[in-house]
Amino acid sequence: MAKVQVLNVAVLDNPSPFGNPFQFEITFECMEDLPEDLEWKIIYVGSAESEEYDQTLDSVLVGPVPAGRHMFVFQAEAPNTALIPESDAVGVTVVLITCTYRGQEFIRIGYYVNNEYTDPELRENPPIRPNYTQLQRNILASNPRVTRFHINWEGAADKMEDSENVDPSPNTMLPPSCLPGKAPPLALVPDNSMDCL
Amino acid sequence: MKLLKPSWVNHNGKPIFSVDIHPDGTKFATGGQGDDSGKVVIWNMAPVLREEDEKNENVPKMLCQMDNHLACVNCVRWSNNGLYLASGGDDKLVMVWKRAAFIGPSTVFGSSSKLANVEQWRCVTILRNHTGDVMDVAWSPHDMWLASCSVDNTIVIWNARKFPEIVTSLKGHTGLVKGLTWDPVGKYIASQADDHSLKVWRTMDWQLETNITKPFNECGGTTHVLRLSWSPDGQYIVSAHAMNNSGPTAQIIERDGWKTNMDFVGHRKAVTVVKFNPKIFKKKQKNGSSQKGSCPYCCCAVGSKDRSLSVWLTSLKRPLVVIHDLFDKSIMDITWILNGLGILVCSMDGTVAFLDFSQDELGDPLSEEEKNTIHQNIYGKSLAITMETQLSTTVIENPEMLKYQQERQGAEHANAVSGPGHESQTPKLTNVVNGESLEDIRKNLLKKQVETRTADGRRRITPLCIAQLDTGIVLLMQHTSTKIEPMKALDSRFTERSKATPGVSISSSPAGVSPLDRVKDISTLKDSKLKEDTSSDSEDKIASKALAIPKRKTEIDGGEVVEKRKKGRPRKDAKLFCFRLTQTPVISEKEPSRVAAPAALLRLPTPSVQKSFTSQVCAEPSVYLEVENEVSTVSGSRLSQLRCCRDGREWDALLPSRITIATGSCDLLAVSCEDRTLAIFSACGRKLIPSILLPAPVSSLHCSGFYVMALTAAATLSVWDVQKQIALVKNESLHTVLSGADITITQTLLTQQGVPVIGLSNGKSYCFNSSLETWNLIADKQDSLVQCADFRNCLTSQDAMGTTGPLSIMQGRNISAGRLATRLSSTPHHLQQGMTLAFLENQLSSSLTLSSSTEYRHWLIIYTRFLVNEGYEQRLRELCKDLLGPVHKSSGSAWEPNVLGLRKRDLLMEVLPVIGQNLRFQRLFTEYQDQLELLRNK
Repeated sequence: MAKVQVLNVAVLDNPSPFGNPFQFEITFECMEDLPEDLEWKIIYVGSAESEEYDQTLDSVLVGPVPAGRHMFVFQAEAPNTALIPESDAVGVTVVLITCTYRGQEFIRIGYYVNNEYTDPELRENPPIRPNYTQLQRNILASNPRVTRFHINWEGAADKMEDSENVDPSPNTMLPPSCLPGKAPPLALVPDNSMDCL
Repeated sequence: MKLLKPSWVNHNGKPIFSVDIHPDGTKFATGGQGDDSGKVVIWNMAPVLREEDEKNENVPKMLCQMDNHLACVNCVRWSNNGLYLASGGDDKLVMVWKRAAFIGPSTVFGSSSKLANVEQWRCVTILRNHTGDVMDVAWSPHDMWLASCSVDNTIVIWNARKFPEIVTSLKGHTGLVKGLTWDPVGKYIASQADDHSLKVWRTMDWQLETNITKPFNECGGTTHVLRLSWSPDGQYIVSAHAMNNSGPTAQIIERDGWKTNMDFVGHRKAVTVVKFNPKIFKKKQKNGSSQKGSCPYCCCAVGSKDRSLSVWLTSLKRPLVVIHDLFDKSIMDITWILNGLGILVCSMDGTVAFLDFSQDELGDPLSEEEKNTIHQNIYGKSLAITMETQLSTTVIENPEMLKYQQERQGAEHANAVSGPGHESQTPKLTNVVNGESLEDIRKNLLKKQVETRTADGRRRITPLCIAQLDTGIVLLMQHTSTKIEPMKALDSRFTERSKATPGVSISSSPAGVSPLDRVKDISTLKDSKLKEDTSSDSEDKIASKALAIPKRKTEIDGGEVVEKRKKGRPRKDAKLFCFRLTQTPVISEKEPSRVAAPAALLRLPTPSVQKSFTSQVCAEPSVYLEVENEVSTVSGSRLSQLRCCRDGREWDALLPSRITIATGSCDLLAVSCEDRTLAIFSACGRKLIPSILLPAPVSSLHCSGFYVMALTAAATLSVWDVQKQIALVKNESLHTVLSGADITITQTLLTQQGVPVIGLSNGKSYCFNSSLETWNLIADKQDSLVQCADFRNCLTSQDAMGTTGPLSIMQGRNISAGRLATRLSSTPHHLQQGMTLAFLENQLSSSLTLSSSTEYRHWLIIYTRFLVNEGYEQRLRELCKDLLGPVHKSSGSAWEPNVLGLRKRDLLMEVLPVIGQNLRFQRLFTEYQDQLELLRNK
């Protein structure tokens, strides 16, 4: 199971002018001492159309992480406006917070971000070139979308062991025509051999 | 009997492999298969028990679900105290769960759509050791140990007080181990495996007590589980799948001689699970016509692969009830409510059934006290001491005792233990870390947190630790559930990650197919390349880190033994041990054969004279002795030289005769010469006493502190205190201890307090008590009392390490005490009790005679614990009385306030909490607690 559970992410300084840095207060819990740092990233999605416009606003290492509950504030500069397609500057986009351990992403937290002009005048008649100084960024903090991934938390040695320990029993139940070399991909192997009973 | 199948208890149709009702009866846990992982669910019991609660929407049904097991969960078991839940699964892991003390998050972060968890149960330990699926787990009585068994053919006993420490691993089964049950008295654990055997293991030494195979020889096809059960009176084990005359049975095994003469017959297919009712029953009295003499009996439920359930009373020849076709598939687990009047049964078909019995049907359950009396009558041992249920029936009479009990409980529960109802009692939230409120911390976190740059210029934040695991610091989570329309174009961004990292996505957000999904092969490729690089990088790092970890010195428990081989010592076989202990006795072992021991003319061997030899006297500060005999000849007499090197500084002395033995302590050096003289030097080489002329050549010589002990060839012993310049022991003959043929001296030792100790070849050790002028027997390796004493249950894990001191040295580090105790299971309890008592009292008085204060304290605590456990009130009272002494000063009192330099009243303060653990002694406790309080205030 995951050794790190994210308990809460509080979005600070929200809503705020577009140029303000992002601030997320992240609370997480760790089951046992981690020998390596966690790497957190904030990714700003510049355009829904293409990943090309994704900007990694910043990445930080967090550590050392002993067992226990921890919190920190992750602050990252506002996105580089030059990299955002003009047509996507105003409207809804997404900011992602990801965390990786030993190069493996195990959690991805996404928030919708709504960028709009505060001035009703501008809202009615937005300029062709977006006026970033007038834009307000509103992160929909109440609705985080969290995706968790199973990763290998142990060292490299364990990775080997895990693959060796895959229950061979399902293979023995395959029809004889199915040669061992053609064994189905592991994903098709039932999690629990008892299911076969 | 009422039968109910609560349909809402399910794992979405997936099989339920295990069910267990919480000891307080308010909830139960199920374990089994989840969607893509193992699943443990905690359910509310109330809707099962009462229809109105089932209909009431405000009464939650599911309390918590945990998907942390990576594969199917085979077993869930609550600890006896109800604080923990253990689960074992196909992922080879045992997880131990504890209710989190903090309130919230009410849901898993980010999972707005999921059902909220009403209670928070958090995995506190993962126990990794098994190399195959874990099939069954079981908590020992009093939750001392947790046992788990696995398809790797082993059973692992975990120290439940100190997870993840492994007590032992029981190996012996040659097939998949599929069921475990503890003896309710705690003496044994039984296991049943696919290898057609049921094994009973002793908890004393974790060895096999018996191996039962006969009833299982015929067993054919395998069952998923073999959950056997031990009766609450401890007299019977009932096995799962056994065969009798080619019919499936549940074998009854008697504790007395492990006889297998009876079984439960009737199921058409293999028995998968047997579960005894935790209560013992007696016949319902009919309308006041008191029929005395009706035996108490037990009740047992048997579930089978034939999908039927039978309930038996040991007083009836036929089952009380048999229910057929209760499920579509095999029964997997059964659990009784602690009051004994209901059971939950789960099946492979993914459903659960509840049976409700009335007292008319089962009989009158015995109270815990009555059950205890039965236990005491059979086994003599009182189980009531730590039994919470028993304690709760005893009235606490005194506020002091109440305070103590509360403090004790408080200490136990300090680590965020939240029993049921605990939270509701303390609704106050104290968000404080180091005296600072969490709100304040949060305000300044950005400014306060430590941020550094790594060598490659990256930001590194040290997170603020707001709670150690298990401290109940409360953190409030804000949760609002305003929903916004998902914007599908962006949805995929939430859940997708680069394909380079292996793993299964367990997205908690709905996986909607986005109409604007893009092809992004190129970026993925790029990504994956990047990822690979970083991962290999980090692996390298791990490897180099692993190499860099310095080898830790392994410490030998109880002190480091430095063995030094010396070249050119007089006796080649002689060894010198330096003990770096609080006590630094010096032992020398002699070759027994060299000791001639005629009764009348005792002669002890003397070392032969060597040309030169060196020896290390002590390690801290390091003192070395170098002896060179006959270095020079001055006017006809030959001189010998003693050179001493102390912390690099040297001095030497010349002696007119050849040196036979040279030894010393940190404070002085003693040298015996061929001409029967003994010279004593200070640490810096001053001769402290003019040479002592002894009646015979020295056989062995020891120094400890300012004490010098000399054993002469004429078998006499002398001990001097050089500092005070007095003789403690004067030419005392060893005839007394060496009487009898062929007894030789194997060990001699001088304690730090100047007590001489002699170990003999017959296993006996004596010390000379200079105040009584007697030889006292302090250790006897052959003593039957030592071997039969059963005090291990009075040892805590710290005590088990033992103490180091002269007594333990003479008795051997691995004291054989208790070795035979296991074989005495048939000896009457009072006999064993008596032997243990005698042994412990011996230990206590021996350490007193040896003036070994640490050992005295050690044995005093164990002795007290034993007295408390076995209920020796008179002795306890006498002990306390002696420790307390007269409360009011009186000149006539001969009471000594100190023993071996320890204040007796301090000892009493240590002893009292031990006494206070048993409510039975609450008056004794309060009496002495009050008096101590009184003295303190004076």
